Amino acid sequence: MRQAGAIAELIEALRCLPGVGPKTAQRMTLHLLQRDRDAAGRLSEALRQALEKVGLCAQCRTLTEHSLCEYCASPGRDRSLLCIVESPAEVLAISRSTGYKGLFFVLNGRLSPLDGIGPEELGLDVLEQRLKDDGVAELILATNTTVEGEATAHYLSDMARRHGIRTTRIAHGIPFGGELEYVDGATLSHAFDGRKDF
Amino acid sequence: MPPEAPRRGDPSRVLLDHAYLLHRRDYRETSLLLELFTLRHGRIGVIAKGARRGRQGFAAVLQPFVPLLVSWSGRGELANLNHAEAAGIGVRLQHTALFCGFYLNELLMRLLPPHDPCPELFGTYRGGLETLAAGEDLETALRSFELSLLEAIGYGLQLRVEAESGEAIRPERLYSYRIDAGPVPAGDEADAVHGMTLLALHDRRFDTSQTRTEAKRLMRRIIAHHLNGRALKSRELFRSSS
Ligand SMILES: [Zn+2]
Repeated sequence: MRQAGAIAELIEALRCLPGVGPKTAQRMTLHLLQRDRDAAGRLSEALRQALEKVGLCAQCRTLTEHSLCEYCASPGRDRSLLCIVESPAEVLAISRSTGYKGLFFVLNGRLSPLDGIGPEELGLDVLEQRLKDDGVAELILATNTTVEGEATAHYLSDMARRHGIRTTRIAHGIPFGGELEYVDGATLSHAFDGRKDF
Repeated sequence: MPPEAPRRGDPSRVLLDHAYLLHRRDYRETSLLLELFTLRHGRIGVIAKGARRGRQGFAAVLQPFVPLLVSWSGRGELANLNHAEAAGIGVRLQHTALFCGFYLNELLMRLLPPHDPCPELFGTYRGGLETLAAGEDLETALRSFELSLLEAIGYGLQLRVEAESGEAIRPERLYSYRIDAGPVPAGDEADAVHGMTLLALHDRRFDTSQTRTEAKRLMRRIIAHHLNGRALKSRELFRSSS
């Protein structure tokens, strides 16, 4: 039956979402088609619009509807600070939770040689050009604390040093309000090594 | 995951082998696909079911360069990881040493065939990571590991005597290393190396910058040969630091 084809197709398509397995996808499909066809229409239209309009910012490569994102286009931000993150979600997290007023650069990944991702695949030449031209005084490395995130931070710090730019790395350690006893060993040893004068 | 009770005599069940994680990637909704280098079973692929769901301690321990104790079950290409725990404090590799660590892992992934136990190489790997972490002598650590890896896969180098004549290598003399045979006295080959370099490789001791440079060049050529010309991605990380 043709109809069964379309249903199956939608179930399969929904499985692209993180955390959505076959059962959840089936539940979502039946909900949209059976109970809330208006919402299904809005979802479909919103998805189409977003796909059409949203792309990467020409300067920082975060997601935006314009050629420059709101951060890069804003005259009020401190252009001497450039914060490197792995994904657009981290731009949102840092903006929401810190008073950071500088600009961002989104890698959309991290160096991971065993997955075939080297400096070229990450587009680091674009970043290097920016370090050369753009009056950046401090490069803030906010890549993740995985070994790949660390390798990426080290690679970028070498790059910054070549252009005489100061680099800083966000601190990692004990979660705020956390008790040492319950912190995993790797985090604790990192925090211990990174202790400061008090 | 709690360790499961051993089933005696079940050859498809392995309890508490020493291991290092070489590579991990997400698999399906909540699982991880892991490549492990183990002491008693060589390189193996395992699936860690549910490792990304809730049990953070479990996934957190599955990191490269951390000595692990792992148990798994199942035959064939992909076994199930039943248990993993840290077997000590992992080495913290920084900067160039970290790039070197990736290089070791990439070499193992590319050159060591699965299910081929090589406990000596495992020891060299562990020692190499410790040397890298101490930031002592990165090049000696890399060359020692490369030599041990080639030996483990049956392509060990001949470094003390000439290929055809069997004569002892002389430190001051120039040699051309033939990958399928060994060193022969060099004519005017561009890639010739001093006998001193061959002996330094044999002893895993590099006292002069000339032997270091020549050893690096020779090993790079030999490894490239065994990789059939496919480039190593981790080498690209060194471009900006050196
Ligand atoms: Zn932007």
